[in-house]
Amino acid sequence: MAKLKYERPIIKKMNAGMMNKFGAQSENTPVTHIDGVSVKSLIEKYGSPVFVLSEQKMRQNYKAAVRAFNTRYPKVQFAWSYKTHYNNAVCNVFHQEGSWAEVVSGFEYRKALGNGVPGSNIIFNGPDKHGDEIRLAIENDSLIHIDHFEELYLLIDICSQLNKKARVAIRVNMDTGIYPMWDRFGFNYENGQAWQALNKIVESGKLLLVGLHSHIGTYMLSTAAYGVAAAKLCDLAVNCKSQLHTQIKYLDLGGGFPSANTLKGAIGLVQTPSVDEFAEVITSTILNYGFKTEELPLLILESGRVLIDDAGYLLGSVLANKKLSDGRKATIMDFGVNIMFTSFWYDHKISPAQEASQFNEETVMYGPLCMNIDIVREAVTLPLLNRGDHVVVHKVGAYNMTQWMQFIAMRPNIVLIDTNSQTHIVRKAETLEYLEQLEVIPEHLQKK
Amino acid sequence: MLLMVVSFFNPFAGITGFIAVFFAISLSYFTGLFKPYIKSGIYSYNALIIGIGMGSLFNFNLAFWVLLVIITILSVMLSAIFQNRLGKNGLPFLTLPFVICFWIVLLVTKDFEAINFSFRNIYWLNDVYEIGNQNLVQFVMFMEKIEMPSLLSTFFRALSSLYFQNNIFAGLLIALGILIHSRIVFSLLIVGFFTAYTFNAIVLAYPEGINYYLLGGNFILVSVAIGGFFVIPSRHSYFWAIISVPITFIIAMALGKITGQWKLPVYSMPFCITVLSLMYFFSLKAQKGKIVLTPLQLFSPEKNLYNYLNAKERLLNSNIIRLQLPFIGKWLVSQGYDGTLTHKGDWSKALDFIIVDNELKTYDKFPAQPENFYCFGKPVIAPANGYVQLIEDSVDDNEIGKINQQQNWGNSIVIKHAEGLYTKLSHLRQYSIRVKEGDYVKRGDIIAACGNSGRSPEPHLHFQVQTTPHIGSKTFAYPLSFYISNISGNITVNEFSVPQETELIYNGAPNPTLTNAFDFLPGYNLSVKAEGMEDGKWEVFTDAYNVSYIYCHTTKSMAFFKQTEMAFYFTAYEGEKNTLLYYFYLACYKIYLSTDPEVIATDKFPLQLAKITVIKWLQDFVSPFIIFSRLHYESLNKAVTTDFLNPSITIESKQILQFLSIKKTTNQSVIEINDNQISSFTFQKNNKRIKATCTPKEY
Repeated sequence: MAKLKYERPIIKKMNAGMMNKFGAQSENTPVTHIDGVSVKSLIEKYGSPVFVLSEQKMRQNYKAAVRAFNTRYPKVQFAWSYKTHYNNAVCNVFHQEGSWAEVVSGFEYRKALGNGVPGSNIIFNGPDKHGDEIRLAIENDSLIHIDHFEELYLLIDICSQLNKKARVAIRVNMDTGIYPMWDRFGFNYENGQAWQALNKIVESGKLLLVGLHSHIGTYMLSTAAYGVAAAKLCDLAVNCKSQLHTQIKYLDLGGGFPSANTLKGAIGLVQTPSVDEFAEVITSTILNYGFKTEELPLLILESGRVLIDDAGYLLGSVLANKKLSDGRKATIMDFGVNIMFTSFWYDHKISPAQEASQFNEETVMYGPLCMNIDIVREAVTLPLLNRGDHVVVHKVGAYNMTQWMQFIAMRPNIVLIDTNSQTHIVRKAETLEYLEQLEVIPEHLQKK
Repeated sequence: MLLMVVSFFNPFAGITGFIAVFFAISLSYFTGLFKPYIKSGIYSYNALIIGIGMGSLFNFNLAFWVLLVIITILSVMLSAIFQNRLGKNGLPFLTLPFVICFWIVLLVTKDFEAINFSFRNIYWLNDVYEIGNQNLVQFVMFMEKIEMPSLLSTFFRALSSLYFQNNIFAGLLIALGILIHSRIVFSLLIVGFFTAYTFNAIVLAYPEGINYYLLGGNFILVSVAIGGFFVIPSRHSYFWAIISVPITFIIAMALGKITGQWKLPVYSMPFCITVLSLMYFFSLKAQKGKIVLTPLQLFSPEKNLYNYLNAKERLLNSNIIRLQLPFIGKWLVSQGYDGTLTHKGDWSKALDFIIVDNELKTYDKFPAQPENFYCFGKPVIAPANGYVQLIEDSVDDNEIGKINQQQNWGNSIVIKHAEGLYTKLSHLRQYSIRVKEGDYVKRGDIIAACGNSGRSPEPHLHFQVQTTPHIGSKTFAYPLSFYISNISGNITVNEFSVPQETELIYNGAPNPTLTNAFDFLPGYNLSVKAEGMEDGKWEVFTDAYNVSYIYCHTTKSMAFFKQTEMAFYFTAYEGEKNTLLYYFYLACYKIYLSTDPEVIATDKFPLQLAKITVIKWLQDFVSPFIIFSRLHYESLNKAVTTDFLNPSITIESKQILQFLSIKKTTNQSVIEINDNQISSFTFQKNNKRIKATCTPKEY
C-alpha cells in the first residue's frame, strides 16, 4: 500500500459561499494531463516552470473562428497577430491553417518573411514603421496600414523614389460607444481626418488604396461596437467608390475578441461573447450595407488572443508556504509576473496538477521574485499544497511569451504538444551564455 | 483531290460541269439568294451533275450551250424552291433538281435537231489517250483486263458510275479516296453493295446482274446516306442502311417501269425518294433516341459521330438553369435524395444541410437550444436568379427535439427560376426572410437565415427543386451545376450532379484574376505572336444565336467558347489546324476559374482530333458500334503567388490519348496569367514547342 500523502492541519472559517450545482464546494479538479501528456512527465523532462502549448487546441480554435465567419460571409481571411505570440512554431501552425501575418514592427515583419509568408500576405500595422522597413514592405507588395499623416507623407516620398505604388490602407479610429476610445491609433472618423487621409492617398497618385482598417480595442466585451465599426468602415468604402472612384478591396476589422479568461475586477460570472456572436454582428452589418454581391470586400480579421490564449498553459511548482502577518496564507511559486505578465490583467485559473485533498484554502499566490509586485493571484482557493507540488495555470497562450521579462529569473522552455501528443521544445530555456551574448565589457572593466 | 481527278477522266464532262457550276453560282448571287448557302454550294451542286451529265452525252455546239444555260437556271430555281420547302422540315433536297432537269433534257433533246449525241462515252479510250498518252492507255487497259472476282469489278464499276463512268480504274480511285476520307462511308459502301447483291440474288430481279448506275447511284449511296451521313452513325443507322437498300431497289424497279415508257432512266430518283421518306419518318421521332439525324453537317460521318458523342457528354447541360448551393461556406449533407428520415415518396428528391465541426458535432455548447447550433441563423442565399414566388415567415422556431407537424415546412421561400422550375428553401428562421413575394433575387443574394421551424427537430436547411409553385409541392430531381466536395480529405469538383449524404460540400469561389483573364467580351482584341508561326489577330464576336467565338483575322479561324461562373470552355474550332488559335483551343479546352482548391479539370476532346494512326482507323471502322479509344483533356490551375490583389497563375493542361487502358500524353500546354491577363501560352507536342505571347490591344 502506498504511503498516504501528508496533509498539514488547517483551521477554516465556516463559509457557505456561493452555491454551485455541486453544493458549496469549490471546483478544484486536478489537471494531471494536457493533451494526453502528464504534467509530471513534462516537468520532469523540461523543468519547472515550463510553458506548454497545445497545437490541437490552436488548430481547433482557428477552424472554429474561420467557420464562424465563412459560413456567414463569402470572403474571409485571418491574419495571425504576431505580437500575440511570435514564436515561429506557433506562427507556422496558423500559417499552415491558411492565416496571413499581421505585424507591428520591422523585426516582426522580417520574422513573417522568414516564416515563408508571401509579402503580399503580410499586413504591416503600427505607429512606428521605419523608412527602411517601409521600403522593404513596398518592395514585397505588403499591405501597409497607415497610422498618421507623417507616415503617409513618408510613404509618398519613398514611393516616388522607388517608382512603385505601395498598397495601403488607413487605420481608422472612431466612436463605437465604448470606453476607452482608442483614438490614438490611426485617423479619426468623426472629425473627418480619415476622409482627408483617403483623399490625400488617392490624390497623391503614388499609392494604391486597397483597404480600410480599424481596431477598436482589446478584450472587447461588446459585440455592438464591432457593428458600429463595420458600418463606419462600410460608409468610408462606399464613399471611396462613389467619390474617389476607388474600390476598397478589403475591410480589416482588427482583433480584440476576448478569450475566456477572467478580467480582474470582474464581478460574478461575466459572459464573454463568442467569436460567433462577433461574426454575426460584423458580417450582417457588411452584408446589409448594400454592396453588390460581386463587389463585397474581403473581410480580414487579425485575431490573436482568442485563437491561442486557451492553448497555452504554464506549469509550475510550489516553493514554500507561509503565513502572513494578517493571518492569510501565502504560497510561493517558482513562476511570477516576470514570465506571466498577464497576471496584471486576469485572475488566471490555477489548478492543482495532482490528486489533492478535498479541503480548500484561500491563499495569496506569490512569484519567486524578490520584488513586492510579484503577485500571481491576490486570492485563490486551492487545496493544500506542499513544496514540490505542481500547478497548472490556464489560458496563458496570448501575450505572455512575447511580453515576458528576463528579470531575476531566466525565461523557461516552451514546449509544444503536437496533434499526436508528441512534445517538442519550440523555445529553449535561456542560459547565462545567451544572456551575456550581447553584452560588451569595455576594456578597462575587463577582469585582468 | 482524287475524286476531282476522276471527274476529269472525262475532260469534256469536267469542263461543262465546271461551267455549269460557275454559271449557277453567278446566278445565285445575281438573284440575291442567301449568301452563306451559296457559299456552301447548296444551289450549285445539282448544276455540277447536270453539267457533267450533259457534257458526256452531247456534242458541243451553240444549241448545247444555250440548253445548258437554260437547264442550269432551272436547276438553281428548283434548288432554291426545294431548299425552302424541304429545309423547313430539316430535310435535304439531294439530287431532285438534277433528276427533274435531266429528264426534261432527255425528253426535249430528241426533238431538237441541233443537238446530237456524242459518242465520246463509247470511245472513251480516245479521251484517255488525249490526256495521258500511250502509257496511261496501256495502264487503264491493263486495269480493265485484270482478272478479279466479278463481285469486285462490279463494285468498282458501280462506284465509277457515280461519275457517269464505267471503268474499274476510276472506281478504284474513288474507293481509295473514300477510304482516306472516311472509314465509315467505306464500310457503308460495302454494306450497301452486298445488301443489293443479296437482295437481287433472292428476288432475281436482274438475273444478269444489276445495272452499275442503279447499284452505284442508288443502292450504295442510299446505304451511305442513311447509315452515316444524314444520320449519326450507330448500330441502328446501320440496321436502317440495310433496310433502305431493298426499299430503294423496289422503288427503282417500279419507277423504271413508269419512266421506261418514255425511255428515261430513273437516275437517282429512287435514292431521293428513299432517303427523304426515311429521314422524314425519323424526324417524326418514331425511333426516338435510337436514330439521331445529324444536327450539324460536318461532311464526314466520323466527325459527325465524334462531335455528337462529345457534345452529348460535354454540353448536354450547358443550357439548363444553373443552381448553386444555397449557403455560404462548408456544409454537410445530412440527408440526401431518397433519405431514410423524411425524404420519402413525392418528397424524396430533396437535400438537407447542416454545419458540423471537425468532430462532426453540430453545436458547440450547452444548453441544447437552436442558437447553439452552428447552422442556426446562418445566411441562406439564392441558388439562381429568379422571382420570389411565395414566402412563409411567421412560424416559430422549435425547441430542440420538438417538431411542428401543423406547419410541416416551417418558414419557406419558393423562388421561380423559369416556367416550371422552382426551388424551395425550408425550416428558415422566424422573421429572417429579407425578400418579398415578387422580388427579383440574384444568384448569391442573401435571402433568409437557416432556422428550426416546421418539422425540424434540430436546425437544418431543406432544399428542393420542384415544378409547381407551392409550399408542399412534390420534389423534382435536378442537379447542382457546380460544387466542391470533400469526402474524408479527398477534394473533388462536381458538375451537374447531386451531392450524397455525409458529403461535406461548398460552392467554389471564382478567382477574380482567372475570371478576368477569361472574360472574353465581344470586341476584345488580342494580338498573339510566336516564333515561326503566323501572328494571330484575335477578336471576340458574338453571333446572332448568342454564341461567342474568337475569330483570328489573319488565319480566318474560329474557336467557339462558353463561360459560366466557374468554368471557361471551348465548344468547337473551325479552320486550319496549324494556327495559334488552334493551339490555344487545345490548351484552354476547359479551365476552372478557381484556384481554391487546386483541382484538376477534366474533359474529353472529340476523337477526330486524334492523330491518324492504325488504331484511329480501326476505331473509325467500328466507331458506330464501340468506342475503345478516348482523347482526354486535363487542366490544373496553380497559384504561383498568393497575392490576392494580383496573383500570378499558371495553368497546366494536357491531352491524353487513351486506347483501352493505355494512356499516353500527346501534347502539353502551359498558360501564364499575369496582371489579370493571359500573358502567354506554351504548346508542346513531341519536339515541337511553341511559345506564344499575348498582348491585349486597346482601342
